[in-house]
Amino acid sequence: MLKIKKGPMFKKILVPISSEYYSKEVLEKTAFLAEKFNSKIDLIYIIEEKVLNQTDKLSNGYRTSEEIAETKKAIIREQKNTADNIVFEDANYYFKNRNISFEEKIFEGEFSSVVKKETNRKDYNLILMGFEKECFLNYRLFDELDIPIWIQSKSDGKSILSICSNLAPNQKVPEVSIKLSKLLGWELIMLYVVDVEDSVQVDKNGKRSDKKPERDLLFNGNKFVNDMQNKGIKVKLVKGSLEKNTLKAAEEINPNLIIVGREQKKKGVLGLPFKHLKRKLAEKCKYSLLFVN
Amino acid sequence: MNKDNTTNGKFQISKYSNIIFIIIAFSILAIFYFIPTPDGLTHNGKVMIGILLMAAVLWILEPIPLAVTGLLIMIIQPIMHVIPPNEVFSSFGSQAIFFLVGAFIIAGAIEKHGLHRRIALRFLSHFEKTPRIFTFGIMCSCAFLSFAMPAHGVAALFLPIVVSILISMKITPRQSNFGKVSMLCVAYGCSIGSIGTLIGGARNPLTIGLLSDLSSPVNVTFFDWMIYSMPVVFISLPIVWIILQLSFPIEINNITEAKKEIKNQVIKAGKMKKNETIVLTVLLITILLWILFSSHPYFGLAVIAIIGSILLFITKTINWNDVEKRVPWGIILLYGGAITLGIGIQKTGAGTWIVNALFSTVGINPIIVVLVIIILTVLLTNIMSNIGAVAILLPIGIAVSTEIPGISPLLSAMIIALSAGFAFMLVIATPGNAITYSSGYFSTKDLFKAGSIANIACIIVIFIVAIVYWKGYLHM
Repeated sequence: MLKIKKGPMFKKILVPISSEYYSKEVLEKTAFLAEKFNSKIDLIYIIEEKVLNQTDKLSNGYRTSEEIAETKKAIIREQKNTADNIVFEDANYYFKNRNISFEEKIFEGEFSSVVKKETNRKDYNLILMGFEKECFLNYRLFDELDIPIWIQSKSDGKSILSICSNLAPNQKVPEVSIKLSKLLGWELIMLYVVDVEDSVQVDKNGKRSDKKPERDLLFNGNKFVNDMQNKGIKVKLVKGSLEKNTLKAAEEINPNLIIVGREQKKKGVLGLPFKHLKRKLAEKCKYSLLFVN
Repeated sequence: MNKDNTTNGKFQISKYSNIIFIIIAFSILAIFYFIPTPDGLTHNGKVMIGILLMAAVLWILEPIPLAVTGLLIMIIQPIMHVIPPNEVFSSFGSQAIFFLVGAFIIAGAIEKHGLHRRIALRFLSHFEKTPRIFTFGIMCSCAFLSFAMPAHGVAALFLPIVVSILISMKITPRQSNFGKVSMLCVAYGCSIGSIGTLIGGARNPLTIGLLSDLSSPVNVTFFDWMIYSMPVVFISLPIVWIILQLSFPIEINNITEAKKEIKNQVIKAGKMKKNETIVLTVLLITILLWILFSSHPYFGLAVIAIIGSILLFITKTINWNDVEKRVPWGIILLYGGAITLGIGIQKTGAGTWIVNALFSTVGINPIIVVLVIIILTVLLTNIMSNIGAVAILLPIGIAVSTEIPGISPLLSAMIIALSAGFAFMLVIATPGNAITYSSGYFSTKDLFKAGSIANIACIIVIFIVAIVYWKGYLHM
């Protein structure tokens, strides 16, 4: 279950940085949140095994195994130097100056496997990371972890766009959104999307119903809007594709953060998600995202 | 790491897709074996086209190592009764093979004693004036060293040198244009330098090997190759460097830390050791002999390369262990497959038939044909190993010369061999790109952005050199 129910939010933050993609914004945002929530930070630098293997395989045939091994060693050595002298020094600048406690480590391996291993080893309340479409970051992370994942971009707004829909249980997103909005002092804008392209209702346990008529979906949507309004939260109800409406609202509002929940999309062949909303949002969206599973 | 998935060469493929790719490759061959023979083509020619396409599929998708595809090409020809085994395997007696072996042994000695590192640092220290000039220095140093040893080895050498300089300058990966340009200069410098001499890339000896095996042999010496290729190198280098400067304007002005780091590394390397001096002397003698005495009636390329290697053994600067560690025998096998493929395509008349089929639509204007060959080669080399691209296109290119007036075998071969060096756009295009990408200083998007513009510029350069210099001035 989600680990942000009671007590201070984001007590322990894991910040994984891939050797393929480093952005100072991630450290900057981590420092901001850690100051607000008095968090402890574990900063891990992951030397991407896939990049090393790709180099090995491409060199295969052209260079001897001895030469390939020498190059691999050199790459790992230089990656460690980059971590020590650039990434960790930046971390010192952002964290030590603000008296934020943090630990740093270097790993070799596949990004999501290393992150998963670390989350199994310690209890984290948040994973904060950067993202770049062309990198080899594995999207499995988005679905398989029950820890909130914050994808930091260069957004600079002062509001939160919170997305609820007929495709999500809508339990955690409102809770986290309201809490974060209060603690950070950011304006909260909530959107409820009735996805008519995938006309099912997801229950509190994340189970998809059979296809429902549009009026039922709208009824549930309006009920949610009323519930939220009773709590003093304004919610805008829209009809259409979840992905398109989320992106459209983001363009209009220019939020600092978009909070998305556990959308249960249609499954395709071999049980793979028909549409991977989180991946698409991460790829298309220029705003920071918080995936709350 | 999921062991079932490998980033095998050009694509990330699972073991199941490997099997599918192999089945596809053999199905193509089977189809060509059984379909009716078209007019103007013999049965053997038809099978050779099947073998060519099978090789293309295997070299692009790489379900098996490149060298194993080379072996497969060799054995499949006698199995299908296209070329007798003694003829197929006699291709291995080519002097270009022994040139390659000798050149690899010499390069192995250079690497063993760290001579390449010393030369690289010495070269770089002359370009410490401004960040822009420094990046030009990186590019020129990589190109210069790729004249004397395989380009992939040069990229591997420069990776730690340049990364340590960038770290000392506190250059942040991905966020600094100086970091991007520096690393891309390594990748592109090596690629451009690799076309300069016969040593830079194995595709160069493959080209001269195939030319010397023609029914009317065309002999290209070490010096001839340089005369043909150097204008392309010296025009492309500054153009590609300017493209990098325009694509990623450098944001820093100070190069002091880089100077300090290079000085540190020079101090760390210490004074030149005895073995380094010997290897350097042998290298210079060998290059001099290649330039002066590789033509007829003198010794030929292979004899000189082997003389150089033996000198290294006599002076004990290299031993057989080193040779086992540092000579990539896979390339030799790949070469064997490539050259037998070329000879088979030529002997069975398949090349002529393909050319007639291809150019019956676009016409036989030699200028357009030259442009089409360049573009096709550049596209192919970006998605497959460059020696594979040359192996597939060279027999067709040579057939072009027999069918289209105004294009000689030498002209089409040089166009293909040099264009195949320009693998700029994708990480998977060449080991040099992958090695520099692993530094984390540039993204695949950066590589594609700069690489596609650089590729267009180099297509124009080769085209102009081919028409004006090779065809117009040298009457190739």
